[in-house]
Amino acid sequence: MYGGGNTFEHIKSNGLENEDPEKLAQFEARIERGEKIEPNDWMPQLYRKQLIRMIEQHAHSEIIGALPEGTWITRAPGFKRKLALMAKVQDEVGHAQLLYSAAETLGKSREQMIDDLINGKSKYSNIFNYPAFTWADSCFISWLVDAGAIVNQLANARGSYGPYCRALDRICAEESFHLKYGHHCVIHMATGTEKQREMMQAAINRWWPPMMHFFGPSDKISVHSEILMRWKVKMGSNDDMRNQFLDMYVPKIWELGFTIPDENLRKNEVTGRWEYTEPDWEEFKRVINGDGPCNKERLAVRRTAEERGRWVREALLAPKTEYVAPLA
Amino acid sequence: MASLRCHFYLITYMESLDPRVNRLNLSTTELTSKAPLDQLGTYEVFSQLKEDKPYFHVGPVHAPNCEMAFLFAKEQFSRRQTCTGLFVVETRNIKVSVFTEGEDTVYNYISNPGELANGNTESFELFHLKKRGKQHEYIGTIEASSAEVALSMVKSEFINDKPVYNIWIIKTSDIESSQDEDKIIWDTLPDKKFRDAIAYKAADKIKEFKERQ
Repeated sequence: MYGGGNTFEHIKSNGLENEDPEKLAQFEARIERGEKIEPNDWMPQLYRKQLIRMIEQHAHSEIIGALPEGTWITRAPGFKRKLALMAKVQDEVGHAQLLYSAAETLGKSREQMIDDLINGKSKYSNIFNYPAFTWADSCFISWLVDAGAIVNQLANARGSYGPYCRALDRICAEESFHLKYGHHCVIHMATGTEKQREMMQAAINRWWPPMMHFFGPSDKISVHSEILMRWKVKMGSNDDMRNQFLDMYVPKIWELGFTIPDENLRKNEVTGRWEYTEPDWEEFKRVINGDGPCNKERLAVRRTAEERGRWVREALLAPKTEYVAPLA
Repeated sequence: MASLRCHFYLITYMESLDPRVNRLNLSTTELTSKAPLDQLGTYEVFSQLKEDKPYFHVGPVHAPNCEMAFLFAKEQFSRRQTCTGLFVVETRNIKVSVFTEGEDTVYNYISNPGELANGNTESFELFHLKKRGKQHEYIGTIEASSAEVALSMVKSEFINDKPVYNIWIIKTSDIESSQDEDKIIWDTLPDKKFRDAIAYKAADKIKEFKERQ
């Protein structure tokens, strides 16, 4: 599970003037041919930097994303739902492990990434800074937040960096169960009692604005984003991803007799694009910068886990082994 | 145009909804670093999906020793799919050849053996990268006096074959591997149907719901 709308670093200079033009041309030709870039290949600094940032944000999102749903394991209705939710949360944490490893091959240590998460330097998907009040909120996350994540992840799996693509292939295979499980939960709420339907509708009303934020603000076409697209770091614009999500899931929400709290939401049959009320991007910025309902709690939980696990790591510290970057 | 206002608008902090979190009485004010560094060692993991299939590299884990690396690897890489064998090796103990591309094979860069007749030999595991973007595949085990000699011994076998873009060679004694009697650890995998998408069919429920409308 992963929130897209990566916050790519906007830097004034691309730094490309400092790169060897011959090597840069070979690198671009390789991507053009559809070949993957591997850790031992030459790559521009900008490519390395942006990939580390993107994969690291993705990994943090998996870790933090497990928290709002993890809260519901003890209160999940019935044994089957508990079993499934536990397996899902375990998967998400496993995905973080795969992603940290992929980022490590680019030269940033796992330790440094975890440190940057708990000291507030790195970002993660903004949607996890909101609270899951009821079981229906947990159902919304399992189905629709995961669905949004899969839209992003399937696109990124066609990217150019080998270790990231391989991690994503594994992750997407596992996510298919999450999506089906989430849909199953929502269908049961939709076809249940009047009270259950009300709960589900209330969750949809709560989560729709953060869901629209999920794919990030419209990206302006800049030289910078053009380069990232050419290098297959970014596989589509935020608006394209959002449109694809709406196309696939709005009909499925409507099919269950629920409404979506945006009276302007409709598909323009001429352009084939969805029209909607512009999400509140000021709110998005405020929350991503730390002032959301759950930002402090999420980081505090993560930091506490780190502090409480310290004695275990100290007891296990083995000078006979050595930390090195993974090979592939 | 009015923007889509979030339900949570201007809530900048709230008490946790998880009673366990509230009991922890977490400090939510300061952001601190977790130093000192205590990063564990790096291991590469190889797995076999079916009895008659070769082992493939699947990814790394971090652990304080081989045994724990094996346990982490089992959770990370064989939790969700069938598995018949798994082994781990410390990343620094893998000898990595040069990389080639196109029609150029790594074996063009392996020099011929100086001396083959050497009394003390040990066994080495050989892995090939046959396609860019894929992962290394197990090829075979060779007895030789060193990794270099081992490669030169197999050179003639692969030089006219399809190009090999990279070779990993590992001393067999550096490997921590599952044994035949360990295979029971994967016995319960097929029972965990709740991890498969197919266990969540609900088309009938939707159909019934629509008919009721």
